[in-house]
Amino acid sequence: MPLLIKRRKLKMEKVELAIVVLVLIGIMVSSGTMYYTATGLSNLISEVSRLREALEEKIAAIEASLIVGTTDSVELTLDPAQAYDYFGWCILQQIGDTLVVVKPGSLTGTDFDPELATSWNSSTDLKTWDFNLRQGVVLPDGKTFNATYVKYSIDRAIALIPSIPEGAPAGLGFDAVINRTEVLSTYRVRFHLDIPFSPFLGFLACRASAIVDPKYAPIEQVNHTAGDVRASTPVAFLGPYVLSKWDRVAGRDVEIRLDVNPNYWNLASGYPKLKHIVFRFYSDATTLRLAIGAGDVDMAFRHITPTDVLNLQTSPNVKVWWGAGVQIQYLCFQEKRAPFNDRRVRVAVAAALNRTSVSETVFLGLAKPLYSIIPIGMLGHTEAFKRLGDANYTLTRSLLAEAGYNAGNKLKFDFWYESSGHYPMSAEQALLYKEALEASGVIEVTLKNADWASYKKNRDSEIMDAFIYGWYPDYVDPDDYSFLYWAKWLHLNYSNATQTALYDQARAITNTTLREKLYAQIDDIAVEQCSVVPIWVGGAWAVTKPTVYGIYMDITTDMRYWLISK
Amino acid sequence: MGLRSYIVTRILLTIPTLLLLLSMVFLIMRVLPGDPVALHFEKKADPETMEAMRHILGLDKPLWAQYMDYIWGLVDIRYFMEHGYPNLGKSMQTFEDVGGQIFSAFPATLELAIYSMIIASVIGILLGVISSKSYNSILDHLIRGSGTVTYAVPVFFLGIIFQLIFGVYLGWLPTGQRIGPNVSPPATITGLYTIDSLLEGNFFKFFESLKALVLPSLTLGIILSGIFVRLTRTNMLETLRLDFVTAAKARGLKESTVTYGYALRNAFLPILTMMGLQFAMLLGGAILTETTFSWRGLGRYLVERINFRDYTAIQGAVVMFGLFVILVSLVVDILYAYFDPRIRL
Repeated sequence: MPLLIKRRKLKMEKVELAIVVLVLIGIMVSSGTMYYTATGLSNLISEVSRLREALEEKIAAIEASLIVGTTDSVELTLDPAQAYDYFGWCILQQIGDTLVVVKPGSLTGTDFDPELATSWNSSTDLKTWDFNLRQGVVLPDGKTFNATYVKYSIDRAIALIPSIPEGAPAGLGFDAVINRTEVLSTYRVRFHLDIPFSPFLGFLACRASAIVDPKYAPIEQVNHTAGDVRASTPVAFLGPYVLSKWDRVAGRDVEIRLDVNPNYWNLASGYPKLKHIVFRFYSDATTLRLAIGAGDVDMAFRHITPTDVLNLQTSPNVKVWWGAGVQIQYLCFQEKRAPFNDRRVRVAVAAALNRTSVSETVFLGLAKPLYSIIPIGMLGHTEAFKRLGDANYTLTRSLLAEAGYNAGNKLKFDFWYESSGHYPMSAEQALLYKEALEASGVIEVTLKNADWASYKKNRDSEIMDAFIYGWYPDYVDPDDYSFLYWAKWLHLNYSNATQTALYDQARAITNTTLREKLYAQIDDIAVEQCSVVPIWVGGAWAVTKPTVYGIYMDITTDMRYWLISK
Repeated sequence: MGLRSYIVTRILLTIPTLLLLLSMVFLIMRVLPGDPVALHFEKKADPETMEAMRHILGLDKPLWAQYMDYIWGLVDIRYFMEHGYPNLGKSMQTFEDVGGQIFSAFPATLELAIYSMIIASVIGILLGVISSKSYNSILDHLIRGSGTVTYAVPVFFLGIIFQLIFGVYLGWLPTGQRIGPNVSPPATITGLYTIDSLLEGNFFKFFESLKALVLPSLTLGIILSGIFVRLTRTNMLETLRLDFVTAAKARGLKESTVTYGYALRNAFLPILTMMGLQFAMLLGGAILTETTFSWRGLGRYLVERINFRDYTAIQGAVVMFGLFVILVSLVVDILYAYFDPRIRL
């Protein structure tokens, strides 16, 4: 066969083959189409409607959710016997419940609402406290809350103190205050105290007193972090939310999700307002500010810087909520040696401080000058240190002259501040303190700094002449502030029997007028002695989208997420 | 020396290197000021309580005993088989397993490193080749200049600029974190969100995690690309002058074949070394990038632990970092030896 014909034939065969393949494909496609047309169309429609439903569900879930951005993280655990950090306590407050709570919007922190207790009374000597408990409160496993849960929770907290010395019950001194807890009846419990203790309700309102579920909270400490949420959360889910997701990476939170507690005792009243709270964690204030600015989160709470929050205040896309603060900073003097073993020198330095300059320059007015160790608004707050004045160089010079210091022989000392961010803007503050003190013309300050770990070590080693320190309360009561003047753990080598006697007297009475008087007397001595000098009290703020409502920022600085709606 | 003997020798050399590194970190941490015990307390810091915590943390033992405990933990095969990572001890701050903490942070760092390295390599090598091809032209100067500028720009600055433009003003991309704010992370299989979301079959999560990756990896990639631009350009210029390139051109081969098939392949070895070193550095944690984009990786972990004087966590992180550097260097050396047999001589 000639080659040309052979090629043509081959070509024809290829064309035929192609036609056959095309026909086959056509049959397959048409039969497939027919199949889908005949039997699959309804499936397709149902699939589309399922997707639509899923999408609507997702939108509804987003609408019922609050996404909160924060730079905080749970430090260690959500076990009330161990947790002792702001954010750990914040989550515990949403998922756990205590016998009483501070009333939302409280101005003083000393007015309480019933929670798991419905009423209470104390003996006249304040050593016996009885509580009637709420009935019909159900735990997730269907069991009913009763007095044995209260007894178990408090007994457990005390029993774990030796093995968890860093925990809140140890820090608060549960073992020094509570002698024993007694079950009087199913819904009645009695606390026998070792000392007369008027701030006991504040004690019971703090998260160390949250009710735990014995099923998940054995008397031996549980593995408190990684793993199953239920197993790792000994707190009984009696609060408005349950912890449904808690992801941690390398010792810090990456996502926490709270869902409404279907058994919450106050559900019928419409709480919590939102079904879901989702926490997103940011590395610093700048990234958090960008996230709220971009609308990535509904709310940014702790910590937006003063500069950023004032800037955001002018933005129509967000709303800024302002509240009282309870975080304070104060100046400490080492009294073991010269120059601060001389009372006149301490008072002279205290008089030369310029609180307003620090408050206005560093905190842009968002921290307030503090003239008592008890924060503004709290029971017992005074303006005692105003007697020494601010930048009162006349007093400074005269007192230092008495002590042998003058322009030719200046008082010289090291002024320490923390440098790793544990306290806000410490370096900026320190510069202003130095400037104010040296403006007296008779003081020469050498600024020194250390990171938090070294700073605490230095404090304990008593090597710092003067240093700045801060305090955040465990419970909102002057009882948790006033003792700072002589706190042993500050290692200042200062003690004053009159002050401690007044303090003990104040914690043993409930009469607020009398208590106020006693705290004022403590402040009066503090001004004379200047062992510790209060400087400022911080403010609190949260930034939300304009559609978010129901934020209470009171003196407790607690964020009650169950009251928030949008 | 054969390739196999070379590899075995290199692996054996890693053991004393790691041991030396570990010993140095162990000792340095303990002479640093600060006490991990004191950091647990504020009010209740009486000597008895401090001693109890010292005992809990194992710091009441003599230094040599602490060291031996640590080494013993590291070589504990049973623990390794059970957990899939070595026993690096418990964190002195959070009481969690240090190995678990490190391996939970590592995928975030690895994912960022991979994508950044891809971006850096593609941009760097391409621009380097173009620059060398247009030697001494305006384009060459522009590329060289931009390479220097990008390398000099601080990562947090470029990152914040990107966040402002693409996150705040345009709203196209999330400003931080590994996945969009409305989306839960995929179930952990590899720890790499892009891979895990694909394994989960969830394309929505895949795109969300990819979106979250764009800004940090682009920031890091652009900054790292500068070094690759300069290295590629220099090596390409040298290679393009060699005789075999002239010979290839004389044979009538296409320009692109000569450039990419012949010249770039020969100029690639030093670039490969640099890629390896940079990648190892990234595995140690791109601290500033991780902070700027709230990316929970090894870099941030290490910085936090240092602030807490968390001895065991720091030791663990440094050892792992050292191990990564050694492993990547080993791989690069092996590749180098494979490509260039003269190394093994």
